[in-house]
Amino acid sequence: MKFSRLIIQVLLVIAVITSIVLSFFIWTNTARYQRGRNIDVTTSTQNKNEVPINQVISPTSVIWRKDSSQHLIYNSNENIALSIQKIMQDWKIDSPKLVSQKDGAYYQKTIQSKNVLQLVYPSQTSTSILGYLLDNNSLRNDKSYSFNRILINLKDKEDKNIYLANDKNYTIYRAPVKNATSAPIKKLVNKANINLKIRLDIMKHGVFTIFTEPIKLNTYSYVISSKDDGEYTTALFDSNTSGLVTSEDNGVYTYNYGESKRLVSDHNSGELTFDDYTDTSVPKTKLAFLQRGYQKVTNLQNSISNLRLYSADWDKKSLIFREYVEGFPIFKKSEFGSIRIKFSRKGSTEHFLNKVLEVPVPSDQQPTKLKSTTDILKGLDKVGYSINDIQKIEVGYQWESEVDNEKVVDLKPTYYVKIDDHWKPYSDWTNDTAEDK
Amino acid sequence: MDFRRIEVIFLIVFFSLDIFLFLSFRNSQQLVSSSSTNTSTVSEMRKRNISFGTLDSKDGNAYYLGSQPDNSLAQNVDKLRNQEVQYDEEDHRLTSTLNSTIAVTNDNRKKIMDKFLEKETNVLFGRDYKYAPQLSTTSQMVYVGTGDLGDVYDKTDQLVFSIENGRVDSYTQTHVKSLIILHERQSVKSEKDVITNLYANSEIPNNSKISYANMAYTKLLVAKNSTIYIPVWFVTIKNKDSKVSSVKKVNAFTGNIIKNSTNGDSSYNAQ
Repeated sequence: MKFSRLIIQVLLVIAVITSIVLSFFIWTNTARYQRGRNIDVTTSTQNKNEVPINQVISPTSVIWRKDSSQHLIYNSNENIALSIQKIMQDWKIDSPKLVSQKDGAYYQKTIQSKNVLQLVYPSQTSTSILGYLLDNNSLRNDKSYSFNRILINLKDKEDKNIYLANDKNYTIYRAPVKNATSAPIKKLVNKANINLKIRLDIMKHGVFTIFTEPIKLNTYSYVISSKDDGEYTTALFDSNTSGLVTSEDNGVYTYNYGESKRLVSDHNSGELTFDDYTDTSVPKTKLAFLQRGYQKVTNLQNSISNLRLYSADWDKKSLIFREYVEGFPIFKKSEFGSIRIKFSRKGSTEHFLNKVLEVPVPSDQQPTKLKSTTDILKGLDKVGYSINDIQKIEVGYQWESEVDNEKVVDLKPTYYVKIDDHWKPYSDWTNDTAEDK
Repeated sequence: MDFRRIEVIFLIVFFSLDIFLFLSFRNSQQLVSSSSTNTSTVSEMRKRNISFGTLDSKDGNAYYLGSQPDNSLAQNVDKLRNQEVQYDEEDHRLTSTLNSTIAVTNDNRKKIMDKFLEKETNVLFGRDYKYAPQLSTTSQMVYVGTGDLGDVYDKTDQLVFSIENGRVDSYTQTHVKSLIILHERQSVKSEKDVITNLYANSEIPNNSKISYANMAYTKLLVAKNSTIYIPVWFVTIKNKDSKVSSVKKVNAFTGNIIKNSTNGDSSYNAQ
């Protein structure tokens, strides 16, 4: 009798231990299970959105130097930067090491080197963000460094590194690369059909891309799409439009969703502002900052295939997105680009334009010939803006609505100059034309 | 109180608790595995008696293409022989009645008409077209415009032979001389994405067969006197019982299903 009682006691102990172990597994596993499900949700929404995050956050210009001079290259049939990014996804990039810092002369020499292909981001990015975009975990989890240029030597077979360069503090990092060949990149470079001679100069406000000769650029036309205010409110107010308060003043419509959300739509300028006072968490990492920005952008607009991250100000927690055509940004009639997103403890704010490029249309206009950057700088100097006043100078496309067809917009290239934190076309600063006669 | 009885009750309670915990643990794991792939959609479709070949899951690339109206057909109309020709200036469409009709059967019609196309005196630019069984019926043979960039399934670039009583007696033709790339290439949805998406949107009924799935360019809109084409997946679904086929169209850039629009009509919204 004693023996059977012992068995029962032993079984009881085993049962208790098993239940503890199982509960432990379920607890830890539920966490894993939920995380797994979250990842799945994000991938499925990414599938639904036509444009993945690594297209929105990607280099916008590609610079190549084969012989004596550097060239800005572009292929109007295939985006070189995106294709290289895709190639880099198969590379094994190790953690970067510092090569030099705050050495302007060495920096200039490096970014002007021969046989080097450069991918240039319009704003600062970091190695952890690059790791995320390339799906490279070692880069993602390592200590993060800021940079805005990736340099790849296509000729030197001994040099099994890529270099990351930061215009802000003239710092260069070296990251060893395995599993990489330059052949597919060379092929992409050779296919480029736009080839503009440039020089990279270090100025007071950073590195400027100087077109040393007049440049001929195509004009483009696009069919634009816009949405009604109602479509924005359903998307932004979580589809509950019953508690909506609307007011109108001189074409400026205001929609309030309780005290928590507000959309202001200016029908005269086509600009909208959305405040979300419930969104009070400020992103803690730079990656989360960009991810949340991307999410907001995809929520705002359906066709974002031309949209790129233009600037990311980590200190002010503000992101600016612009539309790009053939590697050049489009400047619309707003100061903020296409979309500006700002996070703060009081809530997030999104400024955006209603009109979005939708479908490209053959342009009936002749290509535009622009002056060289050197001439533009001279012209600015003539009206009193010295080179040290100029914060940025960039070739961009101007947004010109057609008079007879408001569904179509023409994009014409010109120089944009940033002085005193204001972007204006060259003609506005100088009363002179940027076109080369 | 009998301590031994308490022990037995405890044992039963804990044992059933273990079973419950074990089952819920297994359930959660199964959920993870099933939600992580969409092969389950494919097997679910098979279960519902929807038959199809292997689905290509490779993402491709395609362009926005544009063409300007041209009168290449009107300019070369003199080359045609043994037919009565009419030309519609507005639609740039050529209609021709053959002087001697051509006998065809369902089996040999492709071979015979392919040969007919080769001669410039029979059909202009015959080499720019290719037979599309997906769009053809017993009374109509549709040839679509084809080129380096892909096929065009559209009324603006098509050659249609009419068959009456087993004989080809006339044809209508539209032609696009050249297509220009308007924008850098963009990735498009794969065949698998498109078909699973159609299924998820209840566009594929049970007990049917996906007989064709092709990606081709079709007219999106006309702007500034140019026609703009975008890539579209044409999926033909055939009901196994009624043998009736229907064609579903999916925008290959966005993956959106294009509804209530007939081939080539501009009443289509890009979103």
